[in-house]
Amino acid sequence: MRLFLLVLAFVALVLPIHARAQTADLAAVVSQYRDQIEKPSRQSIGPVVDEIAATGAQGAALLQAWNERLLGLRKSDGLLVIAAPEGDGLKLTDAATGADLGSAAEADVTMLRPNSGVRGVISAAMAGNALSDPDPKRRIEALDSMSRRADASQLALLREAMDDPDPALAARKQRLERMLTIQYDSDPAARIAAIEGFGGDSGLDFRASLNPILAMRRVAFEEIPSGTNIAKELSLGGDLSREDAYAMLVAEGLAPARLTPQAMRATLAQHIVQGSVGGVPLAQLADQDARDRAYTALEAQGTVQPAASDDEVEAALARYKFLDVYAEPNPDVTTAARAALRSTETRIGLMQAADLSLDALSLASIYFLAAIGLAVTFGVMGVINMAHGEFIMMGAYTGYVVQQFIADRTVSLIVALPLAFVVTFAAGVALERLVIRHLYKRPLETLLATFGVSIALQQLAKNIFGTQARPLTSPAWLDGALTFNDVVSISYIRIAIFVLALVFLGLYLFIMNRTRLGLEVRAVTQNPAMAASMGISPDRINMLTFGLGSGIAGIAGVAIGLFAKVTSELGSDYIVQSFMTVVVGGVGNIWGTLAGAALIGFLQKGIEWFNPANTLAAQTYMILFIIIFIQFRPRGIIAAKGRAVGA
Amino acid sequence: MRKPLVLRHPSILVFLGVLAVFTVAVTVLSAGYGTGAISTSMVKTLGKTLCLALAAVAMDLVWGYAGILSLGQMAFFALGGYMIGMWLMVARTEGIVAGSLANLPIPPTDAEISAAVATQIFGVVGSDKFPMIWAFSGSLWGQLALVVLVPGLLALVFGWLAFRSRVNGVYLSILTQAMTLALALYLFQNDSGLRGNNGLSGLQNIPGLDAVSQEKLSIWFLWASAVTLGLGYLLIAWVASGKFGSVTRAIRDDEARVRFLGYSVEGYKLVVFVLAAVVTAIAGALYYPQAGIINPAELAPIASIYLAVWVAIGGRGRLYGAAIGAIFVSMLSSWFTGGRAPDVNLGFYTIKWVDWWQVLLGLSFVLVTLLAPKGIAGLVDLFEGLRPPKRQGQPMGPDMGSLREKEAVE
Repeated sequence: MRLFLLVLAFVALVLPIHARAQTADLAAVVSQYRDQIEKPSRQSIGPVVDEIAATGAQGAALLQAWNERLLGLRKSDGLLVIAAPEGDGLKLTDAATGADLGSAAEADVTMLRPNSGVRGVISAAMAGNALSDPDPKRRIEALDSMSRRADASQLALLREAMDDPDPALAARKQRLERMLTIQYDSDPAARIAAIEGFGGDSGLDFRASLNPILAMRRVAFEEIPSGTNIAKELSLGGDLSREDAYAMLVAEGLAPARLTPQAMRATLAQHIVQGSVGGVPLAQLADQDARDRAYTALEAQGTVQPAASDDEVEAALARYKFLDVYAEPNPDVTTAARAALRSTETRIGLMQAADLSLDALSLASIYFLAAIGLAVTFGVMGVINMAHGEFIMMGAYTGYVVQQFIADRTVSLIVALPLAFVVTFAAGVALERLVIRHLYKRPLETLLATFGVSIALQQLAKNIFGTQARPLTSPAWLDGALTFNDVVSISYIRIAIFVLALVFLGLYLFIMNRTRLGLEVRAVTQNPAMAASMGISPDRINMLTFGLGSGIAGIAGVAIGLFAKVTSELGSDYIVQSFMTVVVGGVGNIWGTLAGAALIGFLQKGIEWFNPANTLAAQTYMILFIIIFIQFRPRGIIAAKGRAVGA
Repeated sequence: MRKPLVLRHPSILVFLGVLAVFTVAVTVLSAGYGTGAISTSMVKTLGKTLCLALAAVAMDLVWGYAGILSLGQMAFFALGGYMIGMWLMVARTEGIVAGSLANLPIPPTDAEISAAVATQIFGVVGSDKFPMIWAFSGSLWGQLALVVLVPGLLALVFGWLAFRSRVNGVYLSILTQAMTLALALYLFQNDSGLRGNNGLSGLQNIPGLDAVSQEKLSIWFLWASAVTLGLGYLLIAWVASGKFGSVTRAIRDDEARVRFLGYSVEGYKLVVFVLAAVVTAIAGALYYPQAGIINPAELAPIASIYLAVWVAIGGRGRLYGAAIGAIFVSMLSSWFTGGRAPDVNLGFYTIKWVDWWQVLLGLSFVLVTLLAPKGIAGLVDLFEGLRPPKRQGQPMGPDMGSLREKEAVE
């Protein structure tokens, strides 16, 4: 029984289409409208196209050929043919019957060239067909093109083709139908229902469908015409400045223009009579009062148009009401649309906050990565290493060089990370042995000496790699972004950096708290003499600690190089921020560095959010904030306590 | 009765004497007033170098005497330049605009001239109005006052905040560097009111002195720079010599001890910091009319670090050392980077000094810091036979103790 019903339903569905196909013969239609097909116009071609579409499969083929500019007239007999390119010539098919006519040279056929307006009509008609096409791909294409270029005529087409065997496509059709209903349905109640049906949906397409409804015009009326859908009555001086309001009246031709200084000047220049204007000598006209007198004199003579005086301006402004008016005439629809937009805005606001937090988090992880090496050398050992940024740069260049030898991005990255550590570890140990060791008691001079190393290394990198940026390409699986919805998304590379930062945090904690090396490092930093008495060699430990910090900087360099451009200035871009991170966080405490990085990252993104166009300002204000912050917590967010403070 | 300052410190006399001889020699050899053996651009370079030397002397007061390694001195230098540059730019543009508007049938009003000047100056950053901070730009005296007041105030506020919360040592250095960076980033914005990264240009044309050729003008500026350097040197030498100077040096050596003795350490530091900022700003105000252009890149933290490098190479804690360092290194630097130094052919590689000078500078700086902390001025000590006591033996372990093995035994 159920099977029978199903078959019946199927037959009922198919029959009308089949029946319609029988009603009109394509050849008859083509011969009837031959003139219009040859010289179509956008306004009148609609019914013709509809009739052709109604003839069935061959009609659809004709339309498609027409749309793709493959329709032509055979010169020999004037037959309407579909001319598909084939080799050097054309393969001809009879447009009306679909009969194969063999091939012909290009010169044998006069091609029809419908303009874009006509093709728009054709493709809209075709979309209706394509929406019920058995091939899901064509249905998707049709839906895509419809949602890109929607108009009122397509609503009906879409409604006819709502059924879809694919549930996902059916849902899309449903959504698009409601969206089109919002914009084009003639029944306000249906539109309101459709708007409310979306709830607090935050999709871009939904917002886009509401925006045209809420589009406003700014107008001035003496009497407000009935049926005006008023968005807001503007108060003069508040919502709308008096100058702008009067400029509006002038622009609409409702009031005479006010005299601008330029216009007054030009008018005066036209009426110079024997070295004076309106009885005022030219020499005195370098003064606005004198010019006013001269103009008034000219007005009195009747030689110039009287300009609008202040009183007239006031009167005109008082006479008119200034309104924001919706283009949409129905107030119920606009009210519903406004309510819907407001509720989506709250949700979008929340999502933007979430997105901003993700951005801030990834910025914080970058700062943390850049600063964690410093947390070792500066935080634990108290050595200011201005060349730290150059170690980051060395790491990035190591990654670049490795990529020159190993083509596979993933493998090269796996090789580059430890190699960068080794290279910068060695550089760090060398720096410590050669320079810093001699300056432990002179911190300011360490700063300067390492700065000397820094400029030397920077120039060296410039000499070797040149000044232009070098690419350090990330593997393909790090491309793209994790997208939650239209608003919230984060690129995989940022996630990777976040993970890397976490790994380093764990690594640091493990080394410092769980290994022999960490124990000795802590002993040496707290009391070198006592540590030495216990058989720890402070020299060796200092060397290793400094190497460790530098090595971490190298790995951070590879990570930073993946998304920033690798130049010799890569390091110096991060050095001040890195020191800030450590100082703000609290020297000698990794949690402090973490807190510092989080603070700086979130702060910078937060300021950027207030002023999105200006990242320079964000950095300026962030640094100012840090300078002031240091005033109140000179030892950072997490201050070292006890005897370690003085050391 | 105490002897006058210059007799107590003969180095001042020597310095001023050398400066005077140098100025006279350059004048005699210049194109404007003498034989023309020295080109005008060289005269300008020399004049600028004298200004840098003054900035270095001020830096020495802050760093060598008070122990504050300020990495923000060039911010004050550039601010001074900006302040004088505003007047130069407005006055000159006003002259040009008034000249072109005078041909119109109706004479222009003041408001029209001002609007035209603003369009001319701020057109590049898409504005046609004077920002608030240009309020005094029409008056030379107003801007000259600002040359002193703006950097002075900045130093006062920053120094007060920093010293009050006992930020010192390397932390202070990083903080000053951050201040410079913040200021530079701020000025890079187009809506900062100082023409963003375009900076101020055309400063070499002094309004009202159009008739004077650049050859003569460069010499005038050289004289002004030399006189200012002389006066600044005297002032700073005077500040650093008396009781005030002694307390300052004591703060450098042991801040806590001076505080316990009852001195207001913060007050002394603040006075030194502000004084140095003002002197630096004056040097900057003389420098940029000779350079002709100023933009926010001049404030980059690296510039201030170079200043520290010059002072370190010249010799900290001696004013003449700082001046020598600035003159020596900056002249050497322009010689190397100007492409005049001959390339060294090693057979397998040719060393082009334009590329390798920075490396050489960096390394020699490390060497000076490590091996000759007294810098070039240390040579004077060698000459006079002043040597530090020879201390024998190894340091007594890694702790902070100052005695060495032999001293401890004795």
